[in-house]
Amino acid sequence: MSWLKYTLKRLLMLIPVIICVTFILYVILSFAPGNVAWQILGEDATAEQIAQLEAEMGLDKPLLVRYGNYMLGVCHLDFGTSWFGGEDIAKLFLGRLPYTLLVAVLSILFAVGIGCPLGIGSAIKQYSLMDYGVSFVAMLLTSMPAFWLGTMCQIFFCLTLKWLPVSGVGTWKHYVLPSVILGANTLASMIRMSRTSLLDVIRQDYIRTARAKGASERKVIMHHAMRNSLIPIVTQIGITFAGVIAGAVVTENIFAIPGVGVLLINAVKARDVPIVMGTVIFVTIIVGIINLAVDIICALIDPRIDFAS
Amino acid sequence: MKRMKKVTTMLIAVSMLLGLCACGSNEADNTAPAETGTPAQEAEAPEESTSQETTTGGAKDTIVLATSGEPYRFYAQGSQSCAGDDNLALSNIYDCLLFLEPDGSLTPALAESYDVSEDGLTYTFHLRQGVKFHNGEEMTAEDVKMTFDTGAAGPIGSALFVNYESCDIVDDYTVDIHLTSPYAAFPYGVASRIGGIICKSYFDEVGEDGYYAAPIGTGPYKFVEYVKGDHTTLTANEEYWRGVPAIKNVVIQTVADTNTQILGLQNGDYDVVRDPAIDVCLRLDDPNVTWAKENSVGRVTMYMNSWGAGPGKDINFRKAIQAAVNKDDVNQAMYSGEADILDIDVCASYGGCPDPGTYQVVEYDPEAAAGYLADSGYDGNTEWKILVQSGSRYESGAKVIQAQLMSIGINCVVDAKDNASYMEEYKAREWDAIIADNLSSLVDADSLMTYHSMDSWWDPAVQGSPRDPEIWDLIQEGRATQGDARKPIYASIADIVTEEAYDVPLVNSIVTVAYNTKLDGMKAHCLGNYNFYYCSWNE
Repeated sequence: MSWLKYTLKRLLMLIPVIICVTFILYVILSFAPGNVAWQILGEDATAEQIAQLEAEMGLDKPLLVRYGNYMLGVCHLDFGTSWFGGEDIAKLFLGRLPYTLLVAVLSILFAVGIGCPLGIGSAIKQYSLMDYGVSFVAMLLTSMPAFWLGTMCQIFFCLTLKWLPVSGVGTWKHYVLPSVILGANTLASMIRMSRTSLLDVIRQDYIRTARAKGASERKVIMHHAMRNSLIPIVTQIGITFAGVIAGAVVTENIFAIPGVGVLLINAVKARDVPIVMGTVIFVTIIVGIINLAVDIICALIDPRIDFAS
Repeated sequence: MKRMKKVTTMLIAVSMLLGLCACGSNEADNTAPAETGTPAQEAEAPEESTSQETTTGGAKDTIVLATSGEPYRFYAQGSQSCAGDDNLALSNIYDCLLFLEPDGSLTPALAESYDVSEDGLTYTFHLRQGVKFHNGEEMTAEDVKMTFDTGAAGPIGSALFVNYESCDIVDDYTVDIHLTSPYAAFPYGVASRIGGIICKSYFDEVGEDGYYAAPIGTGPYKFVEYVKGDHTTLTANEEYWRGVPAIKNVVIQTVADTNTQILGLQNGDYDVVRDPAIDVCLRLDDPNVTWAKENSVGRVTMYMNSWGAGPGKDINFRKAIQAAVNKDDVNQAMYSGEADILDIDVCASYGGCPDPGTYQVVEYDPEAAAGYLADSGYDGNTEWKILVQSGSRYESGAKVIQAQLMSIGINCVVDAKDNASYMEEYKAREWDAIIADNLSSLVDADSLMTYHSMDSWWDPAVQGSPRDPEIWDLIQEGRATQGDARKPIYASIADIVTEEAYDVPLVNSIVTVAYNTKLDGMKAHCLGNYNFYYCSWNE
């Protein structure tokens, strides 16, 4: 039952993380300029109207009281409502999450599906033309910013070739470019990570031993080297996935995907504190769960990792 | 046992990931709630409405408009202020007693005509008969009274229903609107977003929250759904009093990236792009796309702080700035030279705008500017900050002005702030100067009172403004006068403002629209509205 204990422990560790993250965020947001009541009511609102709305929103209370009230609501699964529009935060977030998750999963699949074989091939054929070519592609993908690559791809694949829609959601075609653009950077890091990782492993003594015992090169790579080289790759996938969830802002903006990233950035711009807080809490939980899943998968791959220890 | 452990841990990991993917609801969960039996629910939602391939009998009948800012307040008279983005939907869901046409003129709408009493205190509106709300109920004087009473009490009531006192029902189709004191620009308030007539019985049934969520009006389009951050859908009102709209469905699609908007228009994903930058329009070279522009009802003006402790307190310093600004260069930076230069802080389309030649004009004259600056005793080191919204075209204009002022020896700094910070500083009145686009729903010269009001919201004890009693008296006189007799009054106000160098009017801002060439009837509207009723596909 050590794995169950470990999982529970990790999930419980999320609570102080959430408290720290939300408190820091709440303090920062409280110092951000801009009177929300004034923004809601418009510049023609009277001082009385502004004061009344501030009282209704609880903005006239001290910072710690406001934060305490907010967290009390969160404990009751009440994440509040948007200051601009009045939507329920949980519903709002969960309505956006599928878009972000779908693009994130597709981009990771794209990056891993192409990046890992290329990186492995590159490591096996080190210093070959293929190795140099793959390394060059990886460097190119790392160097190109998403907003530029996205626009170039829109022009080429949408306007010139007429293969894909420029933006939006609805059909599978809408997700092709966002996934590729979001995954481009990850693809580069997957190539580099899998290449480096495999190169590290195939220099180990036990690989030399396997070769000395007459095992075929295919068996040496697939059976002995690959498994051990997967650990840093899986860890990297986990980290990247968390990053993709939290930081798909640029891609979502370019391709008009109504995802979590756009929701968060718009809320920050508008000083819509309940949306910012709610979104960050949800993202923190998701990132925590992804990290936990990665640890479990690593334990599966590497028998040396023991939950009890 | 070891194998069992592996299988179990694998199952947990996979279920965690699957759980994450499954925990989101579909977008329908995020739709603005439509009450049971409301017109919003009764209205037929178009299938996959973001696709412009929605057709009836093979003919295209949908318009997809791409916009950076989305409408989300679908009820203008409520406790929340509504803004330009909301107008995209409001101007199609609701009709006012009067229409504000794209060029800024007023035409009869739900009121067939109106009379003004001799003292200017009572407006009598004669309502059109047989006009139906989206729920099938007929519009009567009760609804008009409700609209004005509710709107006047709301946060934008005092700005748009200026001097409103009460609304008396004369009969089912006639109302008398009484003002506390004369206000010649009142009809523009009637034609503004807050004048969209609401249904009293429906409001009584659903309340303010219900009206925000599922609004009804008498306009050409019915509200269908709003998905925050994604789109708003409207569908044609088949019972519309001016006839059934040719376009059956309208999708207002939120597309944050302006490049994507234009690429989407060229690719056919969108049919209309709202207010693209003029330089983008000028570069458009695509037979499938065209664009239009219109003078907006906004003045882009640099207002100077004449009340604080900064160098702007000295009139000669302000006059130096007036003479040092080359407006053509500013126009080039902000609107690629396509906007009309303003000599006074009043747009030509405004009611009561004085005729050219009847007011003073300050010409660009760097030598005179240098002379004024020498007279001001400015030390050459004190910073003079222009507050602008970062990333806006006004920031570009401010940087041009900065260069012009630095060339005569003023240590000018551009203080570019994000929207919330800008609004906070703007309200605090701590800037040396700001460049703002005063988009006035009241298309009237009275709008120049914004910066010269004696009864404005800011506290005179802690914040200042050019509170010139002479200007204020003339504003009152202008409000009480009707017709062309108002023009000399506003010319006098403009002369005082120029003499005192309170501001530097720059350009009349412009509104643009880019759209599919096959779309007929699309026009740029001075207030940034989109009247989809006039549109049709010509294929």
